[in-house]
Amino acid sequence: MEKLSAQESTHQKFIEAANRKKILAHKCTNCGHLMLETVLFCEKCSGSKFEHAELEGTGTVVTYTIQAVAPEGFEDAGSYAWVVFKIDNSHLRASGFLPGIKTPAELPIGTRVRVAGFDPKHGLMLQK
Amino acid sequence: MTNSKVCVLGAGSTKYGKLNENIIEIALSAAKDAIESAGITPKEIQAGYISNVFGVADKQVHMAPVIMSNLGISHVPGLTIESACGSGSVMFREAYANVAAGFYDCLLALGVEKVTHTGTVHSTTLFSYCSDFFYEGGNGASFPGLFASMARAYMNTHKATEEDLANVAVKNHDNGLLNPKAHVHKKITVDDVLKSPVVASPLKLLDCCPFSDGASATILCSEEFAKKSGRPYMEVIGSGRGASPAAVQGREDITTIPSTVAAARQAYKMAGVTPKDINFAEVHDCFTIAEIIDIEDLGFFPKGKAAHAVRDGATRLKGEIPVNPSGGLKSKGHPIGATGVGQVVEVFEQFTGKAGERTVPGAKIALTHNFGATGASAAVHIFRKVDRK
Repeated sequence: MEKLSAQESTHQKFIEAANRKKILAHKCTNCGHLMLETVLFCEKCSGSKFEHAELEGTGTVVTYTIQAVAPEGFEDAGSYAWVVFKIDNSHLRASGFLPGIKTPAELPIGTRVRVAGFDPKHGLMLQK
Repeated sequence: MTNSKVCVLGAGSTKYGKLNENIIEIALSAAKDAIESAGITPKEIQAGYISNVFGVADKQVHMAPVIMSNLGISHVPGLTIESACGSGSVMFREAYANVAAGFYDCLLALGVEKVTHTGTVHSTTLFSYCSDFFYEGGNGASFPGLFASMARAYMNTHKATEEDLANVAVKNHDNGLLNPKAHVHKKITVDDVLKSPVVASPLKLLDCCPFSDGASATILCSEEFAKKSGRPYMEVIGSGRGASPAAVQGREDITTIPSTVAAARQAYKMAGVTPKDINFAEVHDCFTIAEIIDIEDLGFFPKGKAAHAVRDGATRLKGEIPVNPSGGLKSKGHPIGATGVGQVVEVFEQFTGKAGERTVPGAKIALTHNFGATGASAAVHIFRKVDRK
């Protein structure tokens, strides 16, 4: 299979950073706006030149669900939450898979979470 | 030459539910009803606009030429449009725009879906492909899960309760009982909703619309064409489109859907009306929380107040703004490629005296609202009943 370009894919770079427990972002060199790595043009100024900004993979829960009925590929995941969290020291939010959550009492909004890695089967892994 | 006014001259739907026929047979059934309702022959149709998402699941893509061929008008150009659960309204908008631009004076705008034969588990997977999959479906979120996350954010921000969500389901099931073509004919109580199995907390089974098969079709035409027909028709007086970040995580406020707000603003401005002028609305209630958010974003209620309004009966058939008289996606059903067109069919039936017991008395202006995925794309249309002299 051919690669689209000599550069590593944006998704692959995001995944590699997640495996270092980081969130990879793009910082626009023109206006300084910060976006997740997978966005190719600046949302503010449409600039296309960026520098990498590796954010600490920690944050607070904004919202979540506990998937009582798991989609295909997650049947073996046990009880888990799909979580949207605000990344520390940025306006950005990301979402991921937090295993072992059974009840809302275990995950009040505002709970601290951190990136634990990227699982090929379950995506961006989080832990409390 | 452009057409300054675009009208709906005919409309028809199949029953929504688990249907035995294949996807083309389902589509043709609705097309035939719409053509007969308009009092035209297929030869008068100059183009076919088709909305569909998962035709591949019933072994048929490139659907428009197949439908045109089976209507005996294989020379008529067709186009198939996909925009997830919003496909129907987004396609309707493109069909509208092409009549308005003067490319056509009469066309078929038809939505169709068939998924129930794939089973609930696989249908759930198919639907998850409508999310921003790298961030959402790929991390374990199903569509009920995505809307559940919106529900939790809303409930946390506005102190709404699971009972508030359940009230939406109860109201729409009551309306659906009056709609012979609805998928789910079942009276339910708040207690039934609260005791139904959790799908993705805080949403339970009865907070969720069903997977449905079905088709809906309309005949769109110029005002001149409609007047010549001598038949009842309605005018499209407002049309708006909007967009939101594809992923829920990209939205600063998870308790509103930006695409709805933008589409509604455009449609109201174009129609020269305000939310207070709308006599009833068909809105996108794929989950109970969606209807709560919709009716705030459409301007019917202030932010954070919709749950109270639903509880007080304001959105019931005899309320100040009846919402989803058809039963909505929740009860009428949600064949996703057809849903947006089905909403227009409901308005047409209401305006032409075919809505039976669910008729909103005296209605002259109505709104339809339909979005794709968690609201990444949306369209709003406003219609005016034309009283023939």
